[in-house]
Amino acid sequence: MRYWLQRLGVAVALLLAVSALTFGAMNLLGDPLFNILGPTSASTLPEDLEIIEAAKAEYNLDDPLPVRYVKWGSAFVTGDFGVQFSVDGQPPVSDLIKERLPRTVMLLIIAQTMAVLIAIPWALFAASRADKAVDKVSTVTSFLFIAIPNFGLAVILKYLFSLKWSIFPLIFNAADPFWTRVWQLVLPAMALALPVASVYQRLLRTDLITTLQEDYILTARSKGVSKRNVLFKHALRPSLFSFITIFGINTGALLGGSLIVEQIFIIPGLGTAIVEAILREDFPVVLAIVMIVTSAFVVINILVDLFYSLIDPRVRAA
Amino acid sequence: MNKNDHIQTDRRMESGAPLLELVDLKTHFKTERGLVRAVDGVTLSLKRGESLGVVGESGSGKTVLARSIMGLLPSTAVKHGSVKFAGQDILGFSAKQMRHLWGAEMSMVFQNPLNSLNPLMKIGKQITEPLKLHLGMDKATATATALQLLRDVRIPEPERRLNQLPHELSGGMRQRVMIAIALACGPTLLFADEPTTALDVTVQAQILDLIGEQRRDRNMSVILVTHDLGVVAGHTDQIAVMYGGKLVEHAPTKTLFANMKMPYTKSLMRSIPKLSDPSHTRLATIPGRPPDLVNPPLGCNFAPRCMYALPKCHVEEPPLTPTADPKHVYACWYPVGSPEFEKRDAELQATGYMPEDFSAVS
Amino acid sequence: MSDGNIHGADIAVDAAGLTATGGVDPNGVSTSDATAQANADGAASKRRLGVGFWIAVFWLFIVFFAATFAPWLPFKDPDSNYIVSGERPPYAPSGAHLFGTDQDARDLLSRTVFGARVSLTVGLVAIGMGMLFGGFMGIMAGYFRGWWDRVISFIFIIFLSFPALVLAILITALLERSLRTISITLGILSIAPVGRIARATTISFADREFVLAARTLGAKNSRIIIRELLPNVLIPMSALALLGMAVAVVAEGGLAFLGLSVEKGPTWGKVILTGAGSRDLQKAPWIAIIPIIVLFLTVLALNFAGDRIRSYFDVRETAL
Repeated sequence: MRYWLQRLGVAVALLLAVSALTFGAMNLLGDPLFNILGPTSASTLPEDLEIIEAAKAEYNLDDPLPVRYVKWGSAFVTGDFGVQFSVDGQPPVSDLIKERLPRTVMLLIIAQTMAVLIAIPWALFAASRADKAVDKVSTVTSFLFIAIPNFGLAVILKYLFSLKWSIFPLIFNAADPFWTRVWQLVLPAMALALPVASVYQRLLRTDLITTLQEDYILTARSKGVSKRNVLFKHALRPSLFSFITIFGINTGALLGGSLIVEQIFIIPGLGTAIVEAILREDFPVVLAIVMIVTSAFVVINILVDLFYSLIDPRVRAA
Repeated sequence: MNKNDHIQTDRRMESGAPLLELVDLKTHFKTERGLVRAVDGVTLSLKRGESLGVVGESGSGKTVLARSIMGLLPSTAVKHGSVKFAGQDILGFSAKQMRHLWGAEMSMVFQNPLNSLNPLMKIGKQITEPLKLHLGMDKATATATALQLLRDVRIPEPERRLNQLPHELSGGMRQRVMIAIALACGPTLLFADEPTTALDVTVQAQILDLIGEQRRDRNMSVILVTHDLGVVAGHTDQIAVMYGGKLVEHAPTKTLFANMKMPYTKSLMRSIPKLSDPSHTRLATIPGRPPDLVNPPLGCNFAPRCMYALPKCHVEEPPLTPTADPKHVYACWYPVGSPEFEKRDAELQATGYMPEDFSAVS
Repeated sequence: MSDGNIHGADIAVDAAGLTATGGVDPNGVSTSDATAQANADGAASKRRLGVGFWIAVFWLFIVFFAATFAPWLPFKDPDSNYIVSGERPPYAPSGAHLFGTDQDARDLLSRTVFGARVSLTVGLVAIGMGMLFGGFMGIMAGYFRGWWDRVISFIFIIFLSFPALVLAILITALLERSLRTISITLGILSIAPVGRIARATTISFADREFVLAARTLGAKNSRIIIRELLPNVLIPMSALALLGMAVAVVAEGGLAFLGLSVEKGPTWGKVILTGAGSRDLQKAPWIAIIPIIVLFLTVLALNFAGDRIRSYFDVRETAL
């Protein structure tokens, strides 16, 4: 129990530090007013002056930095991410987030699922034929997928599977029914999934090979269990631990990667939102998205820790 | 092969033929340094219900012997000779064929019960697995059988144990579980590879007694592999002593202890500390190291370390010769009791070395 | 001779440089000590750098050479438009333009080469900063432990808590996009990953006997760090440097795709981006795909070389 309180404490401290860093960057790198309003901040036109005043009030720019941070932080935690100044009508940022977030989440879930579904059978196959020709081919293949940058892979996949051989559609349409949308996300998810699947696979394969040297595998064989069942029922579960740890950590890498993949496949998710916001110089949006994505990452890592301790009964007993 | 072959084994047994027959069994491993002669020509036979002890230091080949018979070797291993189980030559069997025997006709209890049980699988499941696999039991029957097996091996609170994981049990209990697993399908041949080495002395005796009891109840043959002569003393019908991959002495147990021929066996005997020894008795050890199995020495494998070795021992390998009792064979030019041995023994005692005190040799 | 064995596999050395000895099957049967020792002696000879390593080095040499001396080598101007009258760009690869041109008729070969200048510089500066600052902080934390360690580790963890690229996006969004800012931003982001490994390596070495020995001989801390620890820590770090550089180059590419890379001049990311639109991709795939291949080969070479160095110097204390 104490361990969990400690862990929670660390997480909270981390979130505070991360938010402080992000907020600090926003407010210290360049003129905060400019960061919020863009070129409008320097304008002297009367209508703009009103906006400038509103921005100053909204973002408490007349207050000292720490006060601003606290006010922003408390608003953020309650879901008030500020206002999109660059959009007509100045809708709240949370609207944008609500609209865009689900698509990114969907993309990530599909990508991780695909990665796991690819990696586990692949690893089992490679481990059972360790060092034979097939395994060497598999090793080279995974190296290739790990080396290729995901934007490069995305472009190539788009070229091959959407343009040259029209298997997958080019456009993501938010209005389409659920499963159509899933299909539209398959190719971008592949661009994300293939490299991480290769990483998972290599890790799992190595752990499987190590596990297969354990004494209890010999016991299983001496009971007459078939090679396949030895792999699936006896060797797989104890080998999953590093894989699971990496799985959690990788979600962060995928988050970053999805930002780019969304751009390439023109998916209206958080990634494209942040790029548009940067182009429009609407920095509150940028700040909000960065914070959300980072907080999600921190939370996921905690959940991975929690999950890890739950599945390994030896850790629980200790 | 399926469970009905089990019955065939029994039928074959009625004719009185031995259950297990090894003829010049050799197991070599291909490695980068060369061919490792882990087992280099072993001939034995074992009847149904009999118990054989295989004794030797680490590196003597005793574990490889057991695994060779069972067929649990990696692909670097090359076997020669013949291994007949219930009349059938199984040396050339593929893994697929052997799988029908493993767990069903022959099974093994391993040395370290903590590592030999799957840490993430419940005990009950580990026991019912072979039952379902070989005997086709459904879950209910298998669980009931598992429960009975746990009782047979005298584990307290068997119902609770079924749902526990290995780390929740003590070392002795884990070994009992290993035995239960090995006995599950009623094999005719049980291998026990150093079953007590990882356990406390008090528990050791219990485990050995348990194995003996099960042997009698099930009319099962047992091959007990150990480095400890004390372990085999009270629990075996015959003993095979191995050194450097070769069988150096083989006799019915009582005969061996009464009349050991090989100096190596004698030194093994002497290296067992006895409670009756006065305190601070020097621990007798056999100086030197086991032979290089890739390039074994010329002549007798033990000669470099043998205090009784004479020139011939370093040049010619002694064959296995029987004593007056045809069941007792040994491989030594100058065995215990021979004039050369007695002369050397006297010399050693005269220079102040007690026969028990080999460790004083430089 | 009969072979009634389990037909599994033997493992000598796998591509990640792990060395296992004896026979290992999916059946998990391992051989006796004798064969384990025999195989360990043989496995040591397999720990060479290998042909692949030198091929990778060769490729890297070509790329670096071309990038460094680009202005003096016979490449076309990367910003000029080589329009052939009567034909609309983009032009496919040909004798005049080995990699073809982009939609504005700019020569892709030279854009790739000049782009390499930027991308590789970013990579070098980023990993250089990472090694210098991250390495320093990591070694301090790992050697002195205590308060140093707690503070430095916390700093590392904060930076590592940001998902990949997100912090880079934030900073580059706020600042001007020059070669300097991009390089330094990625450099700052390299500090934590490199530092973490430096710390871990230092800790594992600081516990070893030779450090203890130096201490008991009365050596000052700085001497111990420089003479004893640094050489040992540098080796895994240099393997890491190559890998880290690959990551930085890819990161620049990623930033370019988000419109956040260096504003002036070509970079690999920007060159690829030029050709990544659906229409261009369909009609003129070479614009994106050729630079992707160049980038891919470079990253592959860096990864592979780094990996081989690591396994070459990875002296296992116990043969498996």
